[in-house]
Amino acid sequence: MAVPVEEAIAALSTFSLDDEQPEVQGPGVWVSTERGATDSPIEYSDVSAYRLSLSEDTKALNQLNILTQEGKEMASVLYTYRSCVKALPQLPDSMKQSQADLYLETYQVLDLEMSRLREIQRWQASASSKLAADMQRFSRPERRINGPTISHLWSMLKLLDVLVQLDHLKNAKASIPNDFSWYKRTFTQVSGQWQDTDSMREELDDLQIFLSTRWAILLNLHVEMFRVNNVEDILQVLIVFVVESLELDFALLFPERHILLRVLPVLVVLVTSSEKDSESLYKRVKINRLINIFKNDVVIPAFPDLHLSPAAILKELSTYFPKFSSQTRLLTLPAPHELPPREAQEYPSNCFCRHYLIINHIGAIRAEHDDFTIRFASAMNQLLLLKSTDGSDVDWSKEVKGNMYDMIVEGFQLLSRWTARIWEQCAWKFSRPCKDASPSFSDYEKVVRYNYTAEERRGLVELVSYIKSVGSMMQRCDTLVAEALWETIHAEVQDFVQNTLASMLRTTFRKKKDLSRILSDMRTLSADWMANTNKSESELQSSHHGGEESRANIFYPRAVAPTAAQVHCLQFLIYEVVSGGNLRRPGGLFGNSGSEIPVNDLKQLETFFYKLGFFLHILDYSVTVATLTDLGFLWFREFYLESSRVIQFPIECSLPWMLVDCVLESPNSGLLESVLIPLDIYNDSAQQALVLLKQRFLYDEIEAEVDHCFDIFVSKLCETIFTYYKSWAASELLDPSFLFASDNAEKYSVQPIRLNMLLKMTRVKLLGRMINLRSLITERMNKVFRENIEFLFDRFECQDLCAIVEVEKLLDILKHSHELLSRDLSVDSFSLMLNEMQENISLVSFSSRLASQIWSEMQSDFLPNFILCNTTQRFIRSSKAVPVQKPSIPSAKPSFYCGTQDLNSAHQSFARLHSGFFGMPHMFSIVRLLGSRSLPWLIRALLDHISNKITLLEPMITGLQESLPKSIGLLPFDGGVTGCVRLVKEHLNWETKSALKAEVLHGIKEIGSVLYWMGLLDIVLREIDTKNFMQTAPWLGLLPGADGQILTTQDSGDSPVVSLFKSTAAAMVSYPGCPSPTSFHIMSKQAEAADLLYKANLNTGSVLEYALAFTSAALDKYCSKWSAAPKTGFIDITISKDFYRIYSGLQIGYLEESAEVSSNSHERLGDSVAWGGCTIIYLLGQQLHFELFDFSYQILNIAEVEAASVIQTHKNSHFAMQGWEVLLEAMKKARRLNNHVFSMLKARCPLEEKTACAIKQSGAPLHRIKFENTVSAFETLPQKGS
Amino acid sequence: MARAGGITNAVNVGIAVQADWENREFISHISLNVRRLFDFLVQFEATTKSKLASLNEKLDVLERRLELLEVQVANASANPSLFAT
Repeated sequence: MAVPVEEAIAALSTFSLDDEQPEVQGPGVWVSTERGATDSPIEYSDVSAYRLSLSEDTKALNQLNILTQEGKEMASVLYTYRSCVKALPQLPDSMKQSQADLYLETYQVLDLEMSRLREIQRWQASASSKLAADMQRFSRPERRINGPTISHLWSMLKLLDVLVQLDHLKNAKASIPNDFSWYKRTFTQVSGQWQDTDSMREELDDLQIFLSTRWAILLNLHVEMFRVNNVEDILQVLIVFVVESLELDFALLFPERHILLRVLPVLVVLVTSSEKDSESLYKRVKINRLINIFKNDVVIPAFPDLHLSPAAILKELSTYFPKFSSQTRLLTLPAPHELPPREAQEYPSNCFCRHYLIINHIGAIRAEHDDFTIRFASAMNQLLLLKSTDGSDVDWSKEVKGNMYDMIVEGFQLLSRWTARIWEQCAWKFSRPCKDASPSFSDYEKVVRYNYTAEERRGLVELVSYIKSVGSMMQRCDTLVAEALWETIHAEVQDFVQNTLASMLRTTFRKKKDLSRILSDMRTLSADWMANTNKSESELQSSHHGGEESRANIFYPRAVAPTAAQVHCLQFLIYEVVSGGNLRRPGGLFGNSGSEIPVNDLKQLETFFYKLGFFLHILDYSVTVATLTDLGFLWFREFYLESSRVIQFPIECSLPWMLVDCVLESPNSGLLESVLIPLDIYNDSAQQALVLLKQRFLYDEIEAEVDHCFDIFVSKLCETIFTYYKSWAASELLDPSFLFASDNAEKYSVQPIRLNMLLKMTRVKLLGRMINLRSLITERMNKVFRENIEFLFDRFECQDLCAIVEVEKLLDILKHSHELLSRDLSVDSFSLMLNEMQENISLVSFSSRLASQIWSEMQSDFLPNFILCNTTQRFIRSSKAVPVQKPSIPSAKPSFYCGTQDLNSAHQSFARLHSGFFGMPHMFSIVRLLGSRSLPWLIRALLDHISNKITLLEPMITGLQESLPKSIGLLPFDGGVTGCVRLVKEHLNWETKSALKAEVLHGIKEIGSVLYWMGLLDIVLREIDTKNFMQTAPWLGLLPGADGQILTTQDSGDSPVVSLFKSTAAAMVSYPGCPSPTSFHIMSKQAEAADLLYKANLNTGSVLEYALAFTSAALDKYCSKWSAAPKTGFIDITISKDFYRIYSGLQIGYLEESAEVSSNSHERLGDSVAWGGCTIIYLLGQQLHFELFDFSYQILNIAEVEAASVIQTHKNSHFAMQGWEVLLEAMKKARRLNNHVFSMLKARCPLEEKTACAIKQSGAPLHRIKFENTVSAFETLPQKGS
Repeated sequence: MARAGGITNAVNVGIAVQADWENREFISHISLNVRRLFDFLVQFEATTKSKLASLNEKLDVLERRLELLEVQVANASANPSLFAT
């Protein structure tokens, strides 16, 4: 029938519903259909419509089903029962008088719980009697009512299972009798005042007996059953049915299989304990078949943390059922914990362990999974193709749909097998706690936490993720495949009833009237003769009778499946045909002994019979998928909670969390995509807690655990992500030549992890909530990057200035990892975070945390304690320096450095190369880290330092000046070196002022250090400027001229960049198809702006020149004191107050010292003293004076003359020069150094009338202006505070 | 009666069954399409949620940037003297 609805729905598919999120979670959305076809939604009330006289059977069936339902609820009450006694308060001694009130209250609380137990007791009594009555009614050999049907058999088995489970649970829960005895005590206390307590007391005694007797329910059932002595037949039929179903194992999904396994031992016990011949069972079922089943499944899951073992049940029941105790073969089966440990653990020799442990199958499972998903997807594609082609090709359509059907059947069977494996492995693990556990472990830890090896956990995760992914794949295509499934099932049924049955009727059953009547009934109740509505009237007519006439009746598929009642009736009728309605008939269900039906037909009937059983699962598509992928049981541990006497276990013991944790810790990065799957277990268990067990408190506990787990999960995941990106960046930034030369470069390479899938998860389904994992990760990443920057600064603050190279490297790595991460995640920009952590977000803050740290470090450690080596251009820490107290280096995770330990050590060995000195690389790092924003601030601070130092030096120098004689003449040659040195010492009577001397030297050294530092900075800035220039010059149209000046190519026109963009814009605008001409105009305007900006940046001045100018301005104040202008206008050679005299004295002083004690003071002062002293001398205009009158220079001259005379005379040469070689050598060295400094100064700060730089009042430098070399020229320089 | 079966009024049952097949075709058609509608809604919700999430992310970034700029501007305008040349 054409329904316009279909078109409307089809129109919906035109919406594009692209979703970026990958499918890495299990199926999440269930349409709650309450009950599906497997348990008929209308309680088989439509069965009567088929007039098969099954009304009695249906009534009984429904009754059993209701009982089963009730029983399940009772079981969940018992399973989730928690002891109340522990929560009961104790009265303190002071309140003993209200003891009676407490008893009453306690009684009322407990009464509520006990009423539930009483209800269970009553229910089991009635259920047992009803089950027994039902069995008796349907097992009379002379049968008056139709039945039992197959569904009826199933219902009996299910109810029996519920009873067994209840019994098992009652035995296992120790808290129930415990609570009960407390209840009884309070009852005796409370009931003293009550009247008529006898009946209540009686009832209590009854309940007590029920609760304290093991297997009370089974014993009761046994009594009820054998009240009338004819249930053996039906019990035997049930056993045959169970054994055959288990052996065939086709139509069973794992919940049914487990039911059968649980029920079988009990059935065997019941049958063999009857009054009649107990051996008759083995005539129908060989005992070996039973033993095989029991042996293959030594443990059967019953409840999440409770298992059953057939061997143990048989053994235990033998004491209660004396008749059964003669069955020695069944009683000698070993229980799982009795299996010898060696046999059970060394898997090659033993089949049990192999069988139960998932890791032994994971390879095969993986192959199955891969193969299945591929074939499933291709079947889906075929189906979609079929739908889009509007296919009229019937055969092809039938094939595609049939194929889809096969895939679904296979999928269900796979899921069932896999989930059963997990159940069984759990049961196995519960039955065999880990042996070598320390006694401090709780029982639950022994069976779960320490019972799974890492490999087993990984295997479990893998299997769980296979189940969930296949489940969600099948769940997703539910509505797509529904029609194909219905059509295929319809076709199967119709093919059977219209063709197979027809041929059977014509041939084998022609003579047997009663059998052929059943067959034609089957046709009547399910045949759809008019499946094809398009068929013409005549065809319809012929097809109506076609069954008899043509052999292969062609019918057209209809997308409707048979109802549950139809399946029920068909199964019943087939069973009737086969068994002849006789329960006592020997042999199996489809056993051929003594049957009148030929083997061929029997085979066909059997196949169809089991197919019918599976149809129901397929019709219940989404319910089946949900049941098969439900792994919630992995969380529940009510039994162990009770036996361990704790309220809840820590999450480390929780299996779902163990799996999440195992994925995160696992070195196998491929598993990471499954990390969300174990969280689905929580979803399942929460669903079970609410829907199945109906216990709010369990849900609350799960929710609390999930909240906790998810927080830990996110933080651990973020750590993994951060470490991964960090080490990726660090390994990319490793020096390639180092990697090439390294023997084991592999350990520095990073295994790729596919994280981008997790980074896309915006909707993680957790307990009905949607969590945006991506935003959580982003949030944390923003935080951790900031923390990392903070840590690097903290660390730098605990180290000296030399660590700047390492800091830069680490920041580079961080920046690169940020860059890599930004491809997948939108984190805050790195420069923003850096600014934030540097505390210079504000537009008006020019210092930064790093800059101020560098400055304070220079002030407190670098300038006083580092010495310059002029040759290597490096500052090194003086060995004489006082160590500076610094906070200890904060420790951090390896991820805060370079990621992994290996990479850390690799990068550290590079950093160590730079940790012992300060030189060019450090300066480069400083320039790059501070940038143009904070560098000026630092320069200014250093210049102020110079001027402060000069101010500080001034009084000290005055002090030294005072002790000098009024005039000092030239040193006389006749004294020789020795005489001169003595004379100099006489002049410099500074003995009392050695401290002052040292301080002045230090001051000069610091000034020199700053100036040299500026020199280094100047070199670095020049290099960077040059690089920029090289890059921009071609665009700006600049050419270097012959004399080093820069020429512009186009004197009047635009620069190349501007003209290029202008011409492009013009060309584009003139082109008629140009979409937006304005944007090109904007572009050419921007080119002009860029041109201006870059041109303005070209002529940057020299930092060193600026620093020298600044120093000279600072010296200006003291010019009068330190250099007395000769009044005569001639050079006064005897003047002693000039600065150069002081410096001369200081220099010879420390040269002497260094000559005496081997290079002592030099190690304290280094070469920067020369830089400081010479610069001051030069800037004061005393360079020539110094070179002429310096003491050491004079002594050197004398020594030269002396040496010349010695060569002439060859006499007492050694005597005269002896003892002075070292000093002379030092003096020569000093002279060389001084000359170097002077020549540098001449080049950089010429005092002649030449182009030089000046500084405006505002502080802006003016480069290359001409000014006269007068002292007053420096007055234009700004001073601090002006 | 040893054997079960025996539909009492086979012809009537046959006719009723035939009618039932046709009625159920209509019912399953409708119910399937209702489920498809439901599926569509679920998927629509999922898509919308992820689109909203990406929008939210962008807004987040913008908001933080805006906050920063606001602070910078406020800071700068609090010290107008610094910008006077």
